[in-house]
Amino acid sequence: MTITQILILAFLAILLGWLTRKRQRVNLLLTASVLIIFWLQPALPLRYLDFFLPTFSIGFTVLAWTLTASPEERYKKETKTSAAITLGIILLLAATRYLGLTNFLTPTRPPAIGQILLLLAIFTVGAFLLTRQRPSSSNTLLWAGFALLVAFFIILKTPALVLIASRGWRLFIGQNANLASSSDIHWLGYSYLAFRLIHTIRDRQSGRLPDLALGEYLTYVIFFPSFSVGPIDRAERFIKGLRQPENSYRDDILVGGQRLLLGLFKKFVIADSLAMIALNPLSSTQAQNSLGAWILLYAYTFQIFFDFSGYTDIAIGLAQFVGISLPENFMEPYRQPNLTLFWNNWHITLTQWFRSYFFNPFVRALRKSRKISAGMMILISQLATMILIGLWHGLTWNFLLWGLWHGLGLFVQNRWSGWAKVRIAEASISSRAQRILSIFGIMLTFNYIALGWVWFVIPDPVQGWQFILLLWGAA
Amino acid sequence: MSDMISTLNTFIADEILKQPGRTFAANEALISSGLIDSFSLMDLALFVEDTFGVQIDDTELNADTFDTLEALSEIIQSRS
Repeated sequence: MTITQILILAFLAILLGWLTRKRQRVNLLLTASVLIIFWLQPALPLRYLDFFLPTFSIGFTVLAWTLTASPEERYKKETKTSAAITLGIILLLAATRYLGLTNFLTPTRPPAIGQILLLLAIFTVGAFLLTRQRPSSSNTLLWAGFALLVAFFIILKTPALVLIASRGWRLFIGQNANLASSSDIHWLGYSYLAFRLIHTIRDRQSGRLPDLALGEYLTYVIFFPSFSVGPIDRAERFIKGLRQPENSYRDDILVGGQRLLLGLFKKFVIADSLAMIALNPLSSTQAQNSLGAWILLYAYTFQIFFDFSGYTDIAIGLAQFVGISLPENFMEPYRQPNLTLFWNNWHITLTQWFRSYFFNPFVRALRKSRKISAGMMILISQLATMILIGLWHGLTWNFLLWGLWHGLGLFVQNRWSGWAKVRIAEASISSRAQRILSIFGIMLTFNYIALGWVWFVIPDPVQGWQFILLLWGAA
Repeated sequence: MSDMISTLNTFIADEILKQPGRTFAANEALISSGLIDSFSLMDLALFVEDTFGVQIDDTELNADTFDTLEALSEIIQSRS
């Protein structure tokens, strides 16, 4: 997001916060969120796709709601209102093609109205058919929805598959397929959308999902402050603030305003300044010596933190303006004495999501099977979880290595603390010695994380390895 | 309630931390403080399920749902 976009959103959120205090809360926030996900979607070289992708985001969300909602929720009067608002806005945006308002709220000229009507009809019929499902087939359908979301995710995160998809779209729409590139498709917010939908699907399966009206569900999934950068809130937590703001409007503006300013400063002053000297694939080849390489690496280490946590502060601030408190995502991650605590405090909502829907079920299954030793179980589950988190950033070798780096680090740290915990307790060492140990832990953890960023930022693992050698003066 | 807290305390001290005899205050943070890691948390959940016959969901194994012996025993009581 650009600073201009953020300021426009801030103005809108302050206005919405005031308007929605007493009435039409869900309808107005839904209207704003639908409009904004079209507005924020970047223009794409593939014709009309930048209009269809936000439409798909909304269509998938409606289908997921139909799958997870109770029959009583489906037939409430509010459902029709929310559906009418959503369809109405999409058609209104489509109409800008004919009103000479092209590029006003959509990045490029929308497709012809007939194509949009056809797509909306497909989603509507799909949702209608899902309401006719037999209760016995509902779990199968939930799993099918889960598989579909993961399949799209794999396509979007694999450069070779994006290239195939781009060629396919170009042929379908009548563009030159030879110009296809693996960077053609940027589906704004898809990762976070998929995380939220999978959370509701899995919680529906375990019977823990609260009843949500269509408008509430849509607003939860495409809520504009957190749509593209997180945090990934949990539905039951989010709807409390959506239904009833916790604080007064005045307090929300003050708290949200401070948070927004902090986020803007972190992102646009600190992170963007650091970006000028931070490690990137090009600068990694230009570093002359070990000292220069460490400066690049430390600059990147702080840049990524201030960039990401700055955006999170902006999202939290904007949400506060409309009376919704989003969860924290970063809590002093670089000041943690070990890697486990780093991951408990870095991109918190993402790691909690992976813990809930992958790590815990996986560990539970391994524990119950009792076929492998405790040490092996810890190694396998740490590696599997961290590799998945790595691959979430992209299905490429460098992200796999980054996941492996952290998985191995967590395993070693787990074994070490298991061994050291008992001995430190037995030795009853002084508080001063404990403080020194803690400072040593913070420095070791910070540098381990910093070295891991090499894999993250340099796409070619060979080039990454060369840079690591340079850091140690061996290249 | 105090029996339940005592049973949980003994399991955490003996089986998780390997420090028999250690006691925890009922409101002492166990998860957010890093005392119980995510593997041990699963052991605790399985122990609670076997001992008290209540289900702890995978999505509940975090400091937000229960961080103290007091909070855990309240969850167990509300479900048994």
